[in-house]
Amino acid sequence: MTLARMKGFLPLLAFLLAVGAALFTLFPPGLSHGFDIDGFGHLPVLEGGRVKPIDSVARNSLLMIRSKQTVRYQGRTLSADEWLLDVMFRPQVADAEPSFYIDDPDVLGLLGLRQTSERYFPFSALAPHLAEIQEQAQLAQPIDARQRTRFQSAIVNLFDRAYLYYRLRNTLQSGGSRGLSAEIADRASAGAAEREDMLAQLALFRPLPPLKLGSDSWRSVGEALRSGDSGPVDPVLEGLAAIGAAYADEDAPRFNQAVGSLRDRLIGARPQAVRAARNEMFFNRAEPFYLGMVIYTLALLALFVSWLWLPQVLQPVSFALLVAGAVVHTAGLVARVLLQGRPPVTNLYSSAIFVGWVAVLIGIVLERLYRRGFGTAVAAASGFASLIVAHHLTGDGDTMEMMRAVLDSNFWLATHVVSITVGYSGTFLAGAFAIGYTFRRHLGRNVDPVASKALVSMTYGVICFALFFSFVGTVLGGIWADQSWGRFWGWDPKENGALLIVLWNAIILHARWGGYARERGIMAMAIFGNIITSLSWFGVNMLGIGLHSYGFMDKAFWALAVFIGSQLVLMGLCLAPAQFWRPHVEARERLAKPA
Amino acid sequence: MKNKSSWPSRLWDVITSLKLTIVCLALLMVLVIACTLAQVNLGTLGAVNLYIRSFFVWWDVPGTGWAIAVFPGGALVGLVLGVNLLAAQFRRLELSWKKSGLWIVHAGLILLFVGEFVSSAMQVDAQLAIEQGQTLNYVESPRELELAVTDVTDPAYDDVYGIPESMLEHSDEVKLPNKPITLRVKGYFPNAELSKRAPGDPPSMATAGVGTGVTVRELPAVTSDDQMNRGAAFVEPVAGGRSYGTWLVSNTLGAPQSFTHEGRTYTLALRARREYLPYAVTLKQFRHDVYPGTDIPKNFSSLVHIENPSRGEARDVLIYMNQPLRYLGKTFYQASFGKGDTLSVLQVVQNPGWLLPYISCVLVTTGLLIHFAISLLRSLKRRRAALEAT
Repeated sequence: MTLARMKGFLPLLAFLLAVGAALFTLFPPGLSHGFDIDGFGHLPVLEGGRVKPIDSVARNSLLMIRSKQTVRYQGRTLSADEWLLDVMFRPQVADAEPSFYIDDPDVLGLLGLRQTSERYFPFSALAPHLAEIQEQAQLAQPIDARQRTRFQSAIVNLFDRAYLYYRLRNTLQSGGSRGLSAEIADRASAGAAEREDMLAQLALFRPLPPLKLGSDSWRSVGEALRSGDSGPVDPVLEGLAAIGAAYADEDAPRFNQAVGSLRDRLIGARPQAVRAARNEMFFNRAEPFYLGMVIYTLALLALFVSWLWLPQVLQPVSFALLVAGAVVHTAGLVARVLLQGRPPVTNLYSSAIFVGWVAVLIGIVLERLYRRGFGTAVAAASGFASLIVAHHLTGDGDTMEMMRAVLDSNFWLATHVVSITVGYSGTFLAGAFAIGYTFRRHLGRNVDPVASKALVSMTYGVICFALFFSFVGTVLGGIWADQSWGRFWGWDPKENGALLIVLWNAIILHARWGGYARERGIMAMAIFGNIITSLSWFGVNMLGIGLHSYGFMDKAFWALAVFIGSQLVLMGLCLAPAQFWRPHVEARERLAKPA
Repeated sequence: MKNKSSWPSRLWDVITSLKLTIVCLALLMVLVIACTLAQVNLGTLGAVNLYIRSFFVWWDVPGTGWAIAVFPGGALVGLVLGVNLLAAQFRRLELSWKKSGLWIVHAGLILLFVGEFVSSAMQVDAQLAIEQGQTLNYVESPRELELAVTDVTDPAYDDVYGIPESMLEHSDEVKLPNKPITLRVKGYFPNAELSKRAPGDPPSMATAGVGTGVTVRELPAVTSDDQMNRGAAFVEPVAGGRSYGTWLVSNTLGAPQSFTHEGRTYTLALRARREYLPYAVTLKQFRHDVYPGTDIPKNFSSLVHIENPSRGEARDVLIYMNQPLRYLGKTFYQASFGKGDTLSVLQVVQNPGWLLPYISCVLVTTGLLIHFAISLLRSLKRRRAALEAT
């Protein structure tokens, strides 16, 4: 095939392959060892204030306990749903599965374990030390989260996870009982009331739909047992008991039949809940943001290779991959908006996803305008980086949690929050262009001044864009604050953070108009914009004060410090003379120039 | 050789220079960062007063009691920036369609500064803590105290004199208008801890009321925004040449204390400073909804009844999150709650400049859109020309 024909055909192929792979994940998986695990994962339950599939509960819980969505055990990879079934119905098996991620050496020491390459431990390793873990955690809990030592944070964290595990195990049946069927049979016996109270109290999720139509008070197993003391047993309760018994007996046909009939019953009772759970299940399975990350990586790789080999073919391929990544990213974002019924940004996690998405879209537009590969490089790198950041922000569990009262306003979420986030995105994108410019100056072989000029004008345009959205977002935030707290501007840390971004972008633009900063200066300032934005986005949450500190986090502190350090180094590189580390270059350039 | 320009024209150069703009913006950034970090220790109000709402940032030289201005404060920087903006506008920016966007942007920014100056000077914050079924006709200041001397002789009508905190702090004697009573202020503590007098404690200054059995220990004033000062004062009512004893008053003491002069009974109480309203507010119902199966709050709302006889108004209003009530220059916001969801706390704000940021927002947004649209069109035109040329 000639180069020209490959140029037309390969990008399309790459695009179709990437999108096709994404579509492929939507197909339901088959039975696992004969069990309809997927069908079980579809069942709707109420947890965290909203109806979701059991699959979401399983994934989020496992993510919190193990920092992963799967478990490797005896040479097999268990899905989150299989793991949850084990925890609930075969506790002795689940206790042997390495579900807990522990890497703090002091905590390991407390458990009588030595630090090795093994990071995952079964509950059975914790069980003999539970009293000790609880005691240590209770000592550490009264201390303010920011002042805890590493050990104290780790032990509180381990205790919380062990407690989550314990709650999961006591949601559908008491952990040590003979199963839900036995609990139903014994519901009138002595001591049953206490067991039921305990079940109601520990239940992590509520699997029984409300009795009255129009009500949203789903019931836990304990509550259903309690109210069914004398009368007939709730059929959903019996369905759950049948699933549990079949799973404990490892009887796949009976399990599948029980899952099927419970699902049919729930479709009859709560068709909407079943539908919502099914949609969310699709979303969980597709993992669009993970896939997007992979596709962006491929786009970047293609671009890197294109700088050395076959640029006419590989540059379009990398652009096609970028667009494919953007399609998947967009689909994921739209799916979240539809599932949640909210504008795209509702918490830190979704802000990271949105920041990346906007950066990618602007990058695509700029690439179409300038066609030099910079747009692709910066867009793919930003998309990838933001999805990585988002991935690390999922550790708190459900990423679609309910909005606290003051945030419960789609209008302000859609205007203020989205504008601010677009502003973050623009400032980061300008910084990314400036970093690209810096690398080019130091690593590129013959730097074309026209291309440099194009980069500078792209950066300038993006800064204008960022200033506009940061300013509008900040003022809209002030107006929202005036509507809800009674003051337009309160010098709250998050407000100050937003103001800093506006001020910095304004400084860059005025410095350019005044001619005080030229090409390199503007670029170094754009990199500093990355620091300001990261501080405004995450840093102020670490102060733990103010009305906006909903998303307090301490783990990210070091990540942020490293990021800021790296940006300072890049600023230094940007301001340093080009290729100063290669002393003979200048001489060679002088030779090459005609006198 | 260049002519040496006269100093007014040089000053004019400085005032209108873009460099001054950048310096001011940079100083503002430094102040904002300092203010943010200082909030951890000083609380929001303390940090804002130190860095933003001041002309200079003062540093107390340890051990001398002197304070040195070490940095320009937010108010000064804001003022200079405002002057710079106006002056530069007149000098540099010509009146042309090309610059119309920038004109609008800068007008909006000036309005935003004005708005912030107006609200820092004129905004009054108060609170209305009201229980279900209760009717109140006053709001209370969350920070300031007053000594209320109330003539309660007539059971149908209270005659109240509020003596503000600042008067207690600075005067030795306060004469009540239209009353034969003068109060001698013998001691005032902005923040203090009250405890039952122990055997070893020095004798109390109080000679009457519960104060005789109480020891007062002075404390530094609180800095955190969610704490309140517990003030205390010793006052001696004097009337007709006769002293009625020295009384301890504090906002931590429950029941008001009273004395009788010429058949009229007066109560003394140190309490949050009140502002009486020409209308009455009744809380009919407070609701605190949570998401099912969690304690995540979904909504707070207060159903209140407003009764204003002078305007012939009597109506119900629902105040909830993001939905305040604006009434006669005051805005009532749902702020907090308590007492097992039967008490609702409304934030009451009076800010004559509240509309300015809204106008400014519209102006700046429009201006930026116009300006960037003009620039974009110009650069596209240039690109097209460049492409055609090649």
